[in-house]
Amino acid sequence: MLLHFERLGSWKWVLVGITALTTAFLLLPILFIAALSFGSSQWLIFPPPSWTLRWYREFFADPRWIEAAWTSFKIAALVTVFSVGIGLCASFALVRGRFKGREALKALFLTPMILPVVVLAVALYAFFLRLGLNGTVTGFVIAHLVVALPFSILAITNALEGFDKSIEDAAVLCGASPLEAKFRVTLPAIGHGLFSAAIFSFLTSWDEVVLAIFMASPTLQTLPVRIWTTLRQDLTPVIASASTLLVLFTILLMMLVALVRKGFKS
Amino acid sequence: MTAPFLQIRGIRKDYGKVTAVQDVSLEIRRGEFLTFLGPSGSGKSTTLYILAGFQDPTAGDILLEGRSLLSTPSHLRQIGMVFQRYTLFPHLTVAENIGFPLKVRRKSRAEIDAKVKQMLELVRLEGFEDRRPSEMSGGQQQRVALARALSYDPPVLLMDEPLSALDKKLREEIQHEIRRIHQETEVTILYVTHDQEEALRMSDRIAVFSKGVIDQVGTGSELYAEPATRFVAEFIGDSDFLSCAVVASNGQSADIRLGDDWLVEGVPLHARGGGRNEGALLLRPERVQLHRNQPAATGALPVRVDDLTFLGSNVHVATTTGWGEPVAIRLPFGHDAIDGLSRGDTVWLGFDPRTAHVFC
Ligand SMILES: Nc1ncnc2c1ncn2[C@@H]1O[C@H](COP(=O)(O)OP(=O)(O)OP(=O)(O)O)[C@@H](O)[C@H]1O
Ligand SMILES: [Mg+2]
Repeated sequence: MLLHFERLGSWKWVLVGITALTTAFLLLPILFIAALSFGSSQWLIFPPPSWTLRWYREFFADPRWIEAAWTSFKIAALVTVFSVGIGLCASFALVRGRFKGREALKALFLTPMILPVVVLAVALYAFFLRLGLNGTVTGFVIAHLVVALPFSILAITNALEGFDKSIEDAAVLCGASPLEAKFRVTLPAIGHGLFSAAIFSFLTSWDEVVLAIFMASPTLQTLPVRIWTTLRQDLTPVIASASTLLVLFTILLMMLVALVRKGFKS
Repeated sequence: MTAPFLQIRGIRKDYGKVTAVQDVSLEIRRGEFLTFLGPSGSGKSTTLYILAGFQDPTAGDILLEGRSLLSTPSHLRQIGMVFQRYTLFPHLTVAENIGFPLKVRRKSRAEIDAKVKQMLELVRLEGFEDRRPSEMSGGQQQRVALARALSYDPPVLLMDEPLSALDKKLREEIQHEIRRIHQETEVTILYVTHDQEEALRMSDRIAVFSKGVIDQVGTGSELYAEPATRFVAEFIGDSDFLSCAVVASNGQSADIRLGDDWLVEGVPLHARGGGRNEGALLLRPERVQLHRNQPAATGALPVRVDDLTFLGSNVHVATTTGWGEPVAIRLPFGHDAIDGLSRGDTVWLGFDPRTAHVFC
């Protein structure tokens, strides 16, 4: 390599400094919230006068928080299943299909990634009003599916493009029917892509707030929506503990991803 | 009379306006090793894929022991195949790869284990059971692929340039292995290559493909000694062609004139289409005689010596005719005719008309 880190001399400390600053910039807000969630002050004073687990106790004692968390999980899980399933079918068509307008179709599938979410939210809200889907789990799942699918399709088409079709052909000649060959050989071989698709889909839904605010009803809220609405009513540190739990769950998920990736590599 | 084991009848395949193969017909004996030899794009893989059932022919039929295969889907054809690219299942171990065809056939655990063991012995990879494909060399992977393709005792094994990704030494080693395995298992093999040496070394018979048609089918020595077309003559072995005039012909053989005044009578003729009187005379380097002085009795062609190369047991003499066409001559080391020969000398070429061929 032309720019070798060890050969940069004192310049290397500039790089180290920039990296440290960037890391701090990204991490500090999260650490700040985590610290507040353990602080005793009712008014979210920083630095906290003393430490307590009170806000976590309140969080777990309040059925509305628990229900919101459960709803979030349920919706995210459903979105994951549908997103991977539909994404897989779409990816086969996009990668293996030989039809006119394939590229255009792929671009179309990816548009939710660049479309402003709020535009999508308003459109879906108006549309679901007619169907009576606002405030239902179905409505939530469909709305989140729209934003999760592009990630799914991207991850799975990438994996499928990197998979040599001859391997599937070999399985067919070995006596597996075309469908059996896909289940026994192709899907395990693109497992890393399916896994990425699942994680991205789950996380997309798990911390999505704009669409969720439009879809929510007083009786059906996800965790981010509940944080948002509570924030507007009163500024209780329970919000901080809810946010910390949300982040913690995400971190756990990412660690799982890292572990499984390692497994796929070996 | 019993029907041939495997019959390919008038296969044609069109991709839109492109005709990949046409009029391909072959009869293959049980246990035969037949090679499709031809340059890139000549339709070898297409023919193989039609046999495997990955492509449907536009016309023609394939019969295995007298029954048409065309309506049988690939996975029920019981045909084994080794591909040019590495196609081991990446998430399975070597043993699981080899056992895969038996597993989809719902064989018992014990039966699978026994067969896997036998196959690993056959391809000499004992002890590799638990390796993953990613932990093996290309040659080892292709041997596992061969074991996998043979594990369910298919009557026919297709191989599409299985060694083309390997280096020369390894390739020769595995060619030997395949030969041995063919003899041990007596499986019928259809093998694709564009390497004439590989084809000659391994096959019982060779089908030479050119532009989507089979020019000739025969043993290596038949193709070399009696090439049906100029293409086959060029593709198999070393060859030079001299332009000549066809003076007279009876369809089987021709009288030709070389240069200004040398008339050669009775050269075997391979005419294709129109009765043109310009032909190409095929000369094999080891069949050409070299005379230091113009022979009195028989005719001969004066040529100039351009170069002399000593290649161990052989000496290679590069010459040019008066009108500028090159002719190579190969003589055993120490042959009288090259004693004291040097560049720029004029010598006379002769040949036995019966072993030459003229194409027009
Ligand atoms: N799917 C396809 N669509 C269009 N044309 C094709 C297709 N497959 C093959 N062809 C054409 O058919 C002809 C024969 O191809 P084929 O793959 O059988 O050649 P080959 O003899 O196997 O060559 P190689 O040694 O390069 O593998 C070629 O001209 C090729 O371009
Ligand atoms: Mg080919």
